[in-house]
Amino acid sequence: MATQPVEAQNHVERKLPATLEIIRGNILKHGNPLALKGTEVGSWAKGMNLPKTGDLLFYTGGEYQLLPFIDSLVKTMTVMDQGSKAFSMMIGARNILDKVGISAEKMYASVLASDKERFQTICGKAAGLLQSLGYQLCYSGDEELYSGALLYELGYWDDLKEYAPRVQQVIQKSGAKTLVCLSPHAAEVLKFVYPKVGIDLNVEIKTFVELVWEKRHNLKPVPNAPTVVIHDSCRLARELHITQELRDILTASGVQFREAQQHGEWTTCCGGPTKIVFPQLSHTMAGRRVDELKATGADLILTSCPYCLSALEGALEKNDKNQVIDLIEFLYRGIA
Amino acid sequence: MSFFQRGQKQEAEDLQDEFNDYTKYLEQASDDENIRKAISRAVKAYRETTSKTMARYPHTPELAAEVREIKNYSVAHQKELLKQAMESVERNHGKAFYAKDKNQALMIAKEIIGTGKTVVKGKSMLGEELHIREFLENEGNDVWETDLGEFILQLKKDRPMHILSPAIHVPREKVAEIFSDFFKKEVEPDIAKEVAVVREFMRDKYFSADVGISGSNVVAADTGAFVIIENEGNVRLATSAPPIHLLFVGIEKIVPTFQDAMKVAEVTWRYAQYPIPAYVSIITGPSKTGDIEKVTTYGAHGPREFYVIFVDNGRSAMADHDDYKQALHCLRCGGCMYECPVFEVVAGHFGETYLGGIGTIWDVFVAGGLDKEAPQIYSCLRCGRCVERCGMQINVPDMIGKLRNQLTSGQVLD
Repeated sequence: MATQPVEAQNHVERKLPATLEIIRGNILKHGNPLALKGTEVGSWAKGMNLPKTGDLLFYTGGEYQLLPFIDSLVKTMTVMDQGSKAFSMMIGARNILDKVGISAEKMYASVLASDKERFQTICGKAAGLLQSLGYQLCYSGDEELYSGALLYELGYWDDLKEYAPRVQQVIQKSGAKTLVCLSPHAAEVLKFVYPKVGIDLNVEIKTFVELVWEKRHNLKPVPNAPTVVIHDSCRLARELHITQELRDILTASGVQFREAQQHGEWTTCCGGPTKIVFPQLSHTMAGRRVDELKATGADLILTSCPYCLSALEGALEKNDKNQVIDLIEFLYRGIA
Repeated sequence: MSFFQRGQKQEAEDLQDEFNDYTKYLEQASDDENIRKAISRAVKAYRETTSKTMARYPHTPELAAEVREIKNYSVAHQKELLKQAMESVERNHGKAFYAKDKNQALMIAKEIIGTGKTVVKGKSMLGEELHIREFLENEGNDVWETDLGEFILQLKKDRPMHILSPAIHVPREKVAEIFSDFFKKEVEPDIAKEVAVVREFMRDKYFSADVGISGSNVVAADTGAFVIIENEGNVRLATSAPPIHLLFVGIEKIVPTFQDAMKVAEVTWRYAQYPIPAYVSIITGPSKTGDIEKVTTYGAHGPREFYVIFVDNGRSAMADHDDYKQALHCLRCGGCMYECPVFEVVAGHFGETYLGGIGTIWDVFVAGGLDKEAPQIYSCLRCGRCVERCGMQINVPDMIGKLRNQLTSGQVLD
């Protein structure tokens, strides 16, 4: 006997914290978690005359560029109750988000010019470095879109499914055979997650670290390098299994480095991933990691991930004698 | 209606308040100097001891690989193994019960224990899940946690901050304060003296108790053997001295054979940092003797009655769910917690009943459900260091990602 189909209650409406919805909305609407404009994301490339097509696509994903804005967002959140009216006003109520989005430029006009400058120029330094090693790069410029890594991270997988083809279109327009990611988060998502949502990019995904490693013997020595300690990013070490490459690169650049007790695949997370939901906790975790790294006695903390860079730097004391630097900035000293 | 749809409201669930409350809760914990001091010492000690232990017993990872296969098989055959284990208990002159949820488990316990009894209890995470002590106390029984850590928490009216070292966050000075207050005499903040005063107090309880309660680390279906790993010796006393032994165990703990159970046990304690624990009890039924005329008589020196309650409470739902069934492989060695950066800052506040990332997945199924655990689901970093440590290689970040996806897309687990 046929049974009556049971109407399944398989859907429930949920309201998650505003920041999650805002980041999601921004990615979908503006191709960037903080609604940076394409012109802002690509401004570093002015004057570099990178072609839009070629074999090797340089992919920033806009991630280093948005770092100073993330920090402003987090600072706002740390001092305000996310559930409060004032917070909703400040951050833009969810219902108006769909219409206007969030203009990071307007909201965070207070971002330090020096920070903006630093994170913008990292992309240019990375491109310059790769060129100096003999790589011919192309770049999508204003059209480049964020990978969608946060959609994956935060659980918006249906949205990623819809968003990824847009990224795919831009990438494929370049005609590249290989794509080099500055951020390990982008590399992880393009390499491992896109296939899971049915997107075949048909390009080889590599990280900046891998490309440098392949031509490490052409690296210029880094002058007057202080003692360095490596902070492995979780994604790079445990998802992409890139650990020894960083060490080889430093050795090839004639740099002495120390190892934290927790390093390589046992590295400690910088706390960055929960920054947008639990900013204070994230800050504490970053501080603990900085302590682990400082315990080596090294002067300079070196990493190769935009979020690690931002999180660890945020945990340094004012006038801290230690510094956090990205591998890109560090190696650039050799050719600057 | 599926397991998780019970009690779902129709209108939109606004989870912002839950996130705000949880944020405050975590921030308080992260400011707690006791937690900071205790956990950083514990993490250091755990890593040092574990690396020494693993070096001395280098076959452990290979054994863990075998155990992964055993767990795979056991989860896939949960129903048959449960039936077999229950038959084994009955064959061994024990009484076996199946409880589909928390309420059933407690009702069975009430039936067995009744009221006005003295109960001594060993440490059990399932006990925490079911709130056994609180329930039995409300039923008019005198219930004593015999594990030192749990005893401290019982007096402190607190909850475990680690699954193996529940009072990990309470330093000796605080313990002395709690004990002085309870025993109505000055107890010095000297660990040996603190241990001694509890030993003396408990001794009497074991022998005057009507019922001893314990959990079990692993169960062999073929023989009905319940393996209990411990160091203090309290479980031995609590399960041998009283005339009744009542054992609660989750159905995920059942493996096919006695030999399998031994492998699971060794891997469990090894990843919990022990070369070998002080005691491993194997209990199969009531105490018995055949010394007079070869006539088997039950209730010799140990308990004359042995009851086992096999508890489901969401476990079979987990086993049926391809995305989450791997969580049932967890041996509760507690190793991952020492590797979790969130846990290092807030201890067991990252968790409701079970703790850390793996605990979050468990809590969704056995404690609160998807919406209630949403803030916890978002506090995992998905950094993956727990996977490096886990002998079962449980992919917690992957499951956390799936839970987030269920949350954002308005899905309910089915």
